[in-house]
Amino acid sequence: MTKGFLMFAHNNEEIDYLKLATINAYLIKQNCDVHDITVVTNQHSYDYTVGELGKEFVHNAISNIVITEKDKNFKRANNRLYKDTSHTSKPLPFYNVDRCDAYKISPYDETLLIDADYLILSNSLNSCWGHNNELMMNWSYQDIMSERDDPTLKRLSPSGITMYWATVVYFRKTDFAEQFFKTVEHVRDNREYYQDVYKWPGNLYRNDYSFSVAAHMMGGFVDKGIEQLPVPHLYKTFDTDDVHSAPSKNELVFYLEKPRSLGDFILCKWRGLDVHVMNKWAINRVSEELLCQIN
Amino acid sequence: MSSKLTKALEFANYRTTLNVQHNALKAKVQTLLSYSTNGGTFEISHELISFVKMLIDKEYSNAVLLDVYQNPIMVDNLNDFLEEILSRYFEAVNEYHAEYTKLKKARKVHKLIDIDIDD
Repeated sequence: MTKGFLMFAHNNEEIDYLKLATINAYLIKQNCDVHDITVVTNQHSYDYTVGELGKEFVHNAISNIVITEKDKNFKRANNRLYKDTSHTSKPLPFYNVDRCDAYKISPYDETLLIDADYLILSNSLNSCWGHNNELMMNWSYQDIMSERDDPTLKRLSPSGITMYWATVVYFRKTDFAEQFFKTVEHVRDNREYYQDVYKWPGNLYRNDYSFSVAAHMMGGFVDKGIEQLPVPHLYKTFDTDDVHSAPSKNELVFYLEKPRSLGDFILCKWRGLDVHVMNKWAINRVSEELLCQIN
Repeated sequence: MSSKLTKALEFANYRTTLNVQHNALKAKVQTLLSYSTNGGTFEISHELISFVKMLIDKEYSNAVLLDVYQNPIMVDNLNDFLEEILSRYFEAVNEYHAEYTKLKKARKVHKLIDIDIDD
């Protein structure tokens, strides 16, 4: 059975997602000892990042780079407000249309599909390999500052279904997993209809929504019908947080924004646990330090 | 601002940071106490350790155990399984103890985070 990680990395005007994926690929190799890593990107992103980091550096980290065509209409239409703490925000294209193609693209029997900004600082995801469950993803998440509880991240709407996080998805090449990804694709292609039924807010296309709807449908129209990953929680920070430094191996020091005093921070040392860092500029600022800590 | 109030705010900041660091430690221990084998996942708890030891004392060499998903998982060698979960348990709690002791001694924010104040 082959096993590997899969990431999607399409740059926009400000955020070098392929650089994030490259750094994360080095972290995966170091912590999970998995060397089969596929990244899906586009020609513009590839050319830019290879120009910045060097071809050898990128290809040393990523064993398989898949170049796809970008849907320019989708890119123009799907804009998201990116934040670099509460002090700076920018609307930028959020190109996430092809995540439902993960099943078709993955060359592995067992795949861990992760976000490029879900930094792998431990080997805990290795417990997925060879699992009885053929598809797993989490609805349970925890902010690393536990008192910042955001109820809008728990359900698609106040009276709606539980929200699953498409940040980390484990799947095996089985009929069920194939049908699951076809359902995600179907939801993506019929967004207006499913938004009307499931009542998720806003106009932004988010994979968390389409994966949650697919999980509800494929779970037999039962809430939380798809099993979670064999890790207690997914840990996350907000884009209003910042990263102070990466002082040693698998360690990050965060500035966490205080919930009742916006723009004011406390420090947190986070070590040896995977974490979703939502402030992409922050990762970029400590990327050199992060790479120095990798053997 | 009076020095009394400044000190109170500093202390509040210290307590919040201490709480966040303590939660980070708990999160790590919780993750380390999750053990996957034979396609199932177990939470290494006192209950699991005692139950497996009881099975071994009753001279079972293998058994089907329910994992965290309530799926039945065949454990072929209970002795090896017990050894593995005990080893993981002590690795996790010993690390927790060492880090927790350091936290308890730290009385300033920069010591809790273990960073140089001149940075």
